[in-house]
Amino acid sequence: MVDLNFSFVLGYTNVLLAGLLTSIQFVSVAIVLGLSLGFVLSLMRSFGGTILGMIATVFVEVFRGTPVLVLLFWFFFCLPVFFGTDLGGFASAVLALSLYFAAITSETFRSSLKSIEPAQLDACVALGLGAGTRIFRVILPQAVLRAIPNLSSNVVSLFKESALVSAVGLADLMYVGQNIANKEARPIEILTVVALIYFACAFPLTRIAAVIEKKLLKVIKV
Amino acid sequence: MNYDFSWIIVERALPKLFDGLLVSLQLTVWANVIGLTAGFLLALCAISRFRVVRWLAVAYIEVFRCTPALIQIVWFYFCVPMIFGVWWSGFLMGVLALGMNLTAFNAEAYRAAIQTVPSSHLDASVALGLGPVVSTLLVVLPQALIIAIPVLMTNAIGIFQQSALVALISVEDLVYQGRILAGETYRPIEILSTVAVFYLAISIPMSQLVGFFESRVARMLGR
Repeated sequence: MVDLNFSFVLGYTNVLLAGLLTSIQFVSVAIVLGLSLGFVLSLMRSFGGTILGMIATVFVEVFRGTPVLVLLFWFFFCLPVFFGTDLGGFASAVLALSLYFAAITSETFRSSLKSIEPAQLDACVALGLGAGTRIFRVILPQAVLRAIPNLSSNVVSLFKESALVSAVGLADLMYVGQNIANKEARPIEILTVVALIYFACAFPLTRIAAVIEKKLLKVIKV
Repeated sequence: MNYDFSWIIVERALPKLFDGLLVSLQLTVWANVIGLTAGFLLALCAISRFRVVRWLAVAYIEVFRCTPALIQIVWFYFCVPMIFGVWWSGFLMGVLALGMNLTAFNAEAYRAAIQTVPSSHLDASVALGLGPVVSTLLVVLPQALIIAIPVLMTNAIGIFQQSALVALISVEDLVYQGRILAGETYRPIEILSTVAVFYLAISIPMSQLVGFFESRVARMLGR
């Protein structure tokens, strides 16, 4: 059995926190960009007609069907070749994560749009509401509310996938952890601590999602 | 943005990429063998009457669901040999890490499916004088399994994509081969795009299949 010594990890508290902060930066930017794009994509698929719907479908299938690691490598190595300039690691990683997040959240939005009973549409017609009012005033508010629990679990997935940016050399929590593990030759302690930090961030998020889901279900049922 | 896409590079890379794909598929299949069986046992533990068993199972599920798959794989690769004094290949470590990850996700799928079986079926089993083992194995399970199929398949696709991570512990899977070739040829666009197409060619038909099973299950539940 190996002797474990977790005390040296304390010396790296600041470095690990800086790594965590970087991870959180990636995730927050990707959430803002991905959520907006995902929302637009879901509208395109649900109300956009054939051509817009097709474009959105292809986009979603491509970005959901490719591993995030491949997306990251692609954006990191290929975009500079296309554009002739170096976008920088941060921008290409954020782009890859945002597009991945857009693809998964658009599915969440779409299924919540679908969950609204057709009877409500009939009611809109009966009340003489126009298409715009029908979509923006009746369907969307409900769809967004119903999407919240799944969106928060999407955020957890995004947070976990953000560990991959370490593979293209960006100094997030995972990268910092692996570096310290190599330097100290004590992978067990440091990798366990890094895993616990990820857990400590992601687990409360899943609990919050569960609470929201229970409360929300009550509100919607009433 | 006018780039001359070189097909010859893609053509030369294909044999290596197919080798890589084979490794990725093997990883996926073995991880699923672990995930489908152990996940089921874990789901039974998670709904067990014994509090300690339940807690342990739930703790396992939460830990594997709430940490990145990458750290699980890296942790296995570096820490398992040190703790247990064994020297296994990266492939085996990858299979273990992916399999244990999938176990947690599948356990949730099985658990949710078991809960959709109406309690009246259990009452009926009691009324018919069936024992707990018979009613679990022959009444609850077959229904739960069918309901779980779409989620289990979605998880299987997910683990196929997560299997890309083993490239980072030097297992020669599709992504690993792609990265090496992209570096050797200085043609990342051709190679990495082909790698992406390989993944899509497997993931998209699979997810269509999931859609088909989903509608079948929905129809079954509606009845």
